[in-house]
Amino acid sequence: MITRRFVAGLVATLVAAAVILVLPLFLSDTHEYRFAFVATFFIAALGLQILTGYAGLISLGQSGFMLIGAYTTTILSVDHGWHELATIPLAGLLAGIAGFLFGFPALRLRGAYLALATFAIPIAVIALAKKYSDFTGGGGGKNLTRVLTGHEAYVLTWPIAGLMFVLAWLLLLGKLGRSFRTIRESEIAAVSSGVNLTVTKTLAFGISAFFAGVGGSLYAIVIGFVNPDTFSINLSLLLLIGVVVGGLGSLVGVVFGALFIEYVPLYAPDILSWAEKPFGSPLDPQRAGAGAAVYGFSLLLVLFLAPYGVAGLLRRAYKSLAPSSYTH
Amino acid sequence: MAQFVQQVVAGLGDGAIYASLALALVLIYRATHVINFAQGEMGMVSTYIAYALIAHHGWSYWPAFVFTLGVSFLGGFAIHETVIRPLHRAGELTVVMATIALLVILNGLVSWIWQPDEKILLSPLAGGTWSIGSVAIPQQSVYDLIVVLVCVTLLWLLFRYTKLGLALRASAVDPSASRLLGVRVPWMLSIGWGFAAILSAVAGMLAASAQFIFTPGFMQVTIIYAFAAAILGGLESPVGAVVGGLTLGVTINLLGTYFPGQISPDMRLPVALALLLLVLVFRPAGLLGRTVVRRV
Amino acid sequence: MRMRFGLLAAMLVAAAVTCVTALAGAQAAPGVSKTKFVIGGTFPLSGPAAYYAPIPVGMKAYFTYINTRRGADHKRGVAGRQIVWKYYDDGYNPANTAQQTRKLVEEDKVFATFGALGTEPQQAVVDYMNDRKVPQLLVSTGATEFGARYREKPYSMGWQPDYFAEGKIYGKYAAQNWPTKKIAVLYQNDDYGKNYLDGLRSGLGAKDSNIITTQGFGATDASVAQQVVAARQSGAQVVAIFGTPSPTVKTFATMKAVRYKPEQVILNSVSANDYVMGLALANSDATTLDGTISTSYLLNSNDPKYASNAFVKLYKAQMAKWAPNADAKNTFFYYGFAKAYDVVKLLQATGKNPTRAKLLNAARHMNWTNPGALKGVKVTTSATDPFPISQVKLIKYDGNAKIWNELGSLINGRGGT
Repeated sequence: MITRRFVAGLVATLVAAAVILVLPLFLSDTHEYRFAFVATFFIAALGLQILTGYAGLISLGQSGFMLIGAYTTTILSVDHGWHELATIPLAGLLAGIAGFLFGFPALRLRGAYLALATFAIPIAVIALAKKYSDFTGGGGGKNLTRVLTGHEAYVLTWPIAGLMFVLAWLLLLGKLGRSFRTIRESEIAAVSSGVNLTVTKTLAFGISAFFAGVGGSLYAIVIGFVNPDTFSINLSLLLLIGVVVGGLGSLVGVVFGALFIEYVPLYAPDILSWAEKPFGSPLDPQRAGAGAAVYGFSLLLVLFLAPYGVAGLLRRAYKSLAPSSYTH
Repeated sequence: MAQFVQQVVAGLGDGAIYASLALALVLIYRATHVINFAQGEMGMVSTYIAYALIAHHGWSYWPAFVFTLGVSFLGGFAIHETVIRPLHRAGELTVVMATIALLVILNGLVSWIWQPDEKILLSPLAGGTWSIGSVAIPQQSVYDLIVVLVCVTLLWLLFRYTKLGLALRASAVDPSASRLLGVRVPWMLSIGWGFAAILSAVAGMLAASAQFIFTPGFMQVTIIYAFAAAILGGLESPVGAVVGGLTLGVTINLLGTYFPGQISPDMRLPVALALLLLVLVFRPAGLLGRTVVRRV
Repeated sequence: MRMRFGLLAAMLVAAAVTCVTALAGAQAAPGVSKTKFVIGGTFPLSGPAAYYAPIPVGMKAYFTYINTRRGADHKRGVAGRQIVWKYYDDGYNPANTAQQTRKLVEEDKVFATFGALGTEPQQAVVDYMNDRKVPQLLVSTGATEFGARYREKPYSMGWQPDYFAEGKIYGKYAAQNWPTKKIAVLYQNDDYGKNYLDGLRSGLGAKDSNIITTQGFGATDASVAQQVVAARQSGAQVVAIFGTPSPTVKTFATMKAVRYKPEQVILNSVSANDYVMGLALANSDATTLDGTISTSYLLNSNDPKYASNAFVKLYKAQMAKWAPNADAKNTFFYYGFAKAYDVVKLLQATGKNPTRAKLLNAARHMNWTNPGALKGVKVTTSATDPFPISQVKLIKYDGNAKIWNELGSLINGRGGT
């Protein structure tokens, strides 16, 4: 069990944990605040990694489940006086149940069909949130009661992120993880080796939705405000892109994905100005759409140059540093 | 009764747009087994090119329309050669992610170059109506239907009766055998993407007229309807895509007209998708798809 | 001896007083130094609402004008302090607004935010700004919340007539001038449109039963045909359109397509600018648009009538100087330029030693006229009235001449306080 790969993963995790512990000493409050967002994306992306990276089911619905988690927390804390922390497990649970329920009809669908069906999730959930505005505050959104400092947000989100990471790792450790991976490779092989497709697939959806719910709940707490449009399909796309960039199938890689999601759009105008200089800067980098173009190109670059994402690159680097290792 | 006829015609008009885009998706899926998430955005880019020709260079509608189709063909061809082909060995998921990257890039580039404010691309028939008795037939819808049917027919003729068409079909069905017979399969696949790009350009330009004004995101909902139509018809069936598109357009329109309370405009898409899921439960391969039995 | 002692004592006291004053000055408010005012805001420079992006640029043009000219006190800037204007893109996404606003407050240490845009984006930071006691002034949104909750959120304030007040004005006008005509309302089904609708009902008062149908649409819907047809079938003689530019143009186009020409059309002011009307004309025709009623509180910088107006001339000159590549005909630049006038007045009102408390106080006691606004429009606030601009004029569209003509005199709408 204690393979080289396990050790490598453990070391990477411990290093990451140490960095995260120490970071607040070097970051200003504003930057700690930004980093708290990285944690929320990390959690939601972990769920997506389990669903897409491990079980091979492409989903564009993650933002819809985040919405469910976010609104659960908001409504319970604002309208019913719950403490925000107490709402988090319930937010995850409700989102998880929604994901599980979605899993059933989705069973029939494979690949493209499934991706399309998941497209519908954020659209449907947003429409519902806007429709039942008395309950949800409608399109205008709802404020939460507490305003956090950057440091408070950091300290709230990262320990939970760590917890969710360990949870993900434990879930994927045993039979469940193997079942997921087998489904990804070949459904026929999976069934022949005794995997119950129905249960496993719906579990995959349920679990990933649970993670999304927790992520969404924290997202709401950190911003201090929710509105339906924030959870559009764009957010789902962002999470999927983050998972791919971090490296499909790598839990540790998800951190890089989360960093990508938070920081690349932010620095896109700067990247563009720098890239444009040799051409005499024909287009204003501050203009609409510039950031998205950079973002998309970065993804394409990763797909071409590093299809296994950042985690893949790191693994290659590790391998080249330890040439005598014959990984088990 | 007049209302019914009007709504059916309007639905056929909308459906024609979905059908064109759905057919593009099916073409690409059959040829390269890829779901091109960027198909709608490709159509959107084509629309902006047509817009630029008309609004900034003074071209008139029809020359711009046809020229744009040509440019779109080249664009589709180029995208397959430069982005999709190099990645196809990396697996289905990577290619899908590449199309998602394209979706993001194309949308961003268009916003960047042309700005995201509202633009117009009106066909000569936009907004006009023919009155037959008490029925007001929207000209645009009829025009949409005719244009799409013409394109589909031309493509069908090409696939069925020309050598190129034969080569295209062969490459999709059995690439290795085709290669042995001297068909340059990679070129065929890129040509397939080119034709798909033409179809999505048609869909885009028609939709821009139908919606009166457009912004960079205007195809994002249309592509979902197109996906639904393609799956409804069976993802491997071109006829199914067209039938699926038209059916979807008419059904949604009629449902929205006769049940306005439950199916308010913002609920149309979720309802469409719910219907699709329902169909798939009973006919997993879509209405016209071939049922592949996997006894597992 | 006594004299010398007295002199010494006086000198000591003078020194002490100077020290204390100097120390107090050194603890001046964030964003204020002897030479600078640092102010900022978040705006959608990219994303779905990027058509508002000209606003901060228009503001910048005015600030640059103030920074470079010599004022009445022969000093450049505001009493010798240069205005440093920092604005960031939030893409109309509240998550980004939260992050960028904190950057402005905690890293750039702005004195206050001015003109930040977006109902939901600004809602997301209301609690934060009030918590940190940073003035969030003249926000660019007509949503009634900014102001309506001024007692709980004293640091947040709007600027333009709010949507509710505007709707109320239409309601009152309809009740007075078209007392028996039935009204169909086509409204964007979010807080924007609902605010207008509520205002309309309030203004109609007893005649609120004149509204015989309300049809909601989404801002990004591909088609509004169903709603327009429903309006036509209701037989209403008056149609009110409460939507942002995209659905507004679609509505006009659809009206022409289904040959629906109601007797009167009411259009919300955000969509009643030359650019949108131009698009609407291209899609429908002069007849459909002719006679449309809306409201305005700012001068129309494109109106030939105001070509010799001093402020409009200043606007055109400054835009040409500092933003030569910008299309000054886009009235969003003008909106920013006119708003910046009020920003500068507020900064000036903070006096020699500006503090946030003084700024807030000045914001609560605004009382002047903005030369960029229609003649007679006053910018006034008081302890119980947090809405700076409440007066508008009705305007009527001439579809043939393609201009808006002012109708009647100034009307006072009251916000939903």
